Amino acid sequence: MSEKFASYANPDALVSTGWLAENLDTPGIRIVESNEDVLLYDTGHIPGAVHIDWRRDLNDQLVRDYIDPAGFADLCGRYGITPETTVIFYGDKSNWWSCYALWVFHLFGHTNCKILDGGRAKWSAEARSLTREVPKLEPVSYPEPPARLDGEIRAFYEDTLAHMIAGLPMVDVRSPGEFSGEVTHMPEYPQEGVLRGGHIPGAQSMPWAKAANPDATFRTADELRALYAGTLGLKKDDDIIAYCRIGERSSHTWFVLKYLLGYEKVRNYDGSWTEWGNRVRSPIERS
Amino acid sequence: MYPPPLQELIDLFSALPETERREMLINMAETAPLHAPAEGQTFDLEDVRKDEECTDTVGVFLTAGADGAVSYKISLGPQVQTLTRAMTSILCQGLNGSSPLDILEVPADFVPKIVGAELVRLRSQTVYYVLTRMKSAAKVYLNRLRTAAQE
Repeated sequence: MSEKFASYANPDALVSTGWLAENLDTPGIRIVESNEDVLLYDTGHIPGAVHIDWRRDLNDQLVRDYIDPAGFADLCGRYGITPETTVIFYGDKSNWWSCYALWVFHLFGHTNCKILDGGRAKWSAEARSLTREVPKLEPVSYPEPPARLDGEIRAFYEDTLAHMIAGLPMVDVRSPGEFSGEVTHMPEYPQEGVLRGGHIPGAQSMPWAKAANPDATFRTADELRALYAGTLGLKKDDDIIAYCRIGERSSHTWFVLKYLLGYEKVRNYDGSWTEWGNRVRSPIERS
Repeated sequence: MYPPPLQELIDLFSALPETERREMLINMAETAPLHAPAEGQTFDLEDVRKDEECTDTVGVFLTAGADGAVSYKISLGPQVQTLTRAMTSILCQGLNGSSPLDILEVPADFVPKIVGAELVRLRSQTVYYVLTRMKSAAKVYLNRLRTAAQE
C-alpha cells in the first residue's frame, strides 16, 4: 500500500489505478463508472466496468428522492452485485458522481465500496485500456435491504435547519461565488433554477475542489487535515453536514471527511442549495 | 421549417432505437474534429470564447459564399461534453449551406428529437449552446452586411 493511502483514516477506501489494472479480473469485484457526461461510458470504459447513471439508476423517477430498497436490490442484481461484492467506483469530474453513487450504496448498507483515486481522468491520462464492450452479466439475487438508512448519513431540510439553529458545523462545498451569493450557479454550468443566492447561516465555505489535485486524485491526509481540522476547526466527534447544489459535490466532501479523515458523524444534505435557496422563508446569509 | 440537411438528420435520429441512437451520437462526437478550422484558414467572422454556459472554450468560424450561403467550422476545448461534440457535428452537417436568415429561424425544438428524452437533462443542456453560438455568429454577420449596405 502506498504511503499516501496508508496515511488516511481508512486506507482501504481507495484503490490506485495501478492496483485496479492488475485486478480487473479478480473475482468478487465489480467496477462501476458514474459520470456527469451522459455518454462518456459509451465512448469507452475500464474493461469489465458497468455504468450506473445517477439520474436513471439512483434517483426515483417521479419524486425527488432515491430509489427504494427494492429498487436498489434490483439494480445490484442486474449488475451481478451481491452483498459480498466489493464495488469500485470511478468517474469524470474528479469523482463527483462516483462518490455520489458510493454514498447512495451506503444509504442501503452496502459499505464494501471503494473509489478509484484519480477516477477516469487519471486512468485515461496514464493511457490505460478502455473498451466499448459492455460486460454481459448473469443477474444475481441481492436481498432487499430492510430500509434505506436516511437517518445516518443523509440530512433533510428540517435536519439542516435544526443543525443551523443549534450552531453545529456545516460545510458549504460550492464555489466561493456561490457561497457569497454573487452567483446562483457554479462557474461554467447552466442555471439550475435557484431563486436566491447565498448560503445557510453559520455554514463555512470549503470548496470541494480544495480536496482534489489537478489530476483528480485526492490530496494527502496532511493536506486534508490542514483544510478541515486546521482552517475550519472541525473536530473528530463533531456532528457535520455538508451541502452543495444537488448533493454530488458534497458527496465528494462527505467521502473525504468520513473515509479519508475518519470524522465520525457526517451527513450529506442532498436537497442542498436547490432546495434551501428556493424554499419560502429559508434563512439565508450573504457575504 | 428546418434546412433540408438538418431535417434529414432529424428523421434519421428519430427513427433509431435508443441503443443505435447512442451509437450514432458517439460516432458524431468522434467526427467533431473534422469540423474544426484548419491552421491558417481564414474566415469572414471568428468568435472564440469561453462562456459560463459551457465547460470549455468554443470557437465559431463563419465563411460566406458568393450565393449568400454560409458554412461553419467549430473548435471545441477538451472538456466539452460528448453530447455537445455530437451536436457540433450534426449542426455543421445540417446547417452548412443555409442562409444566415434561415439559420436564425431554426427552432431549437429538434434537439430532443435527435438526442432523445433520456439524455436531455439539466446537466446536459449545453447541447443547445452550439446552436446558440452559431445563430449569434449568423446575426453578427447579417448586421455587418446591413451596416455595409447603408454606408
